[in-house]
Amino acid sequence: MKMKIGIIACSGENLIGGTLSRAAARIVVEKLRSNNTIILCQPLFAAGGLERHGGQEERNFAKEHPTITIEGCEEECSKIGVERYSGPAAATIRVDEIMKAHPELIPKSREDLGENGMKLAEIIADIIAKKVDELYTSV
Amino acid sequence: MSKKKVYIIPCSGIGKVFGSIGRETAYIVANELAKGKAELECLPLIVKGKKEVIKALKENKIIAIDGCPLMCSYNNIMEKIGKVDAKFMTTDIVKENRELKPEPSIIPVGENTKELSRKLAEQVVKKVDELLEEKKEAT
Repeated sequence: MKMKIGIIACSGENLIGGTLSRAAARIVVEKLRSNNTIILCQPLFAAGGLERHGGQEERNFAKEHPTITIEGCEEECSKIGVERYSGPAAATIRVDEIMKAHPELIPKSREDLGENGMKLAEIIADIIAKKVDELYTSV
Repeated sequence: MSKKKVYIIPCSGIGKVFGSIGRETAYIVANELAKGKAELECLPLIVKGKKEVIKALKENKIIAIDGCPLMCSYNNIMEKIGKVDAKFMTTDIVKENRELKPEPSIIPVGENTKELSRKLAEQVVKKVDELLEEKKEAT
């Protein structure tokens, strides 16, 4: 059996890129590549002293499986988290760059993406799915 | 001197609906019920240790909202800021309102999830006011 690929989204609450990254990650894991991906919880990577709280599983998963990070902004918090605790990310997708490439699709707000925002999330999800396929055939 | 405020930091979890309740709650508090008194910040940025974010949180009050017993928001903030002024668990509001079973859907969230979030937001906003009152008395 082939191994699963981890998807970890920045999930930041304070910006539209965080909402888009979260929506796109869910679309990939629930619909587009549900059989070969698994969603990882970003805060679990980073939580200080998680070992004390029993939350080491996410970090271990990313050590042993290719993991794609989805970044809402240039801070790249997910990538930094994965690299700090698990090793190099297999790929990184920058949502802000995809937003720039689609100026016709402006999300409504960080709280509610609206119709255009969801279309953009679908586009981001397709890009992630293609990356999953590339990684899946190479492992 | 700038007006003091309360930062609302939800856990950012995207694996289960309990994280979504935290996020929806934070949006209702910051955008509506305590607009101008409460603000959001990205948990991943706190964990990353972005200087201006850390400084702002140290100078103001903080409420953590968590969706599971790992308490990523609370633990991450304690690790990076060294204090949390109040904390909430979204699972508590679910237990208090057993007739409102949250729908499993994360994007979009369901009606029961929205109603639970509003109920929790009403509790959080009371705490926001208490904390700001304490802050006034202390200065």
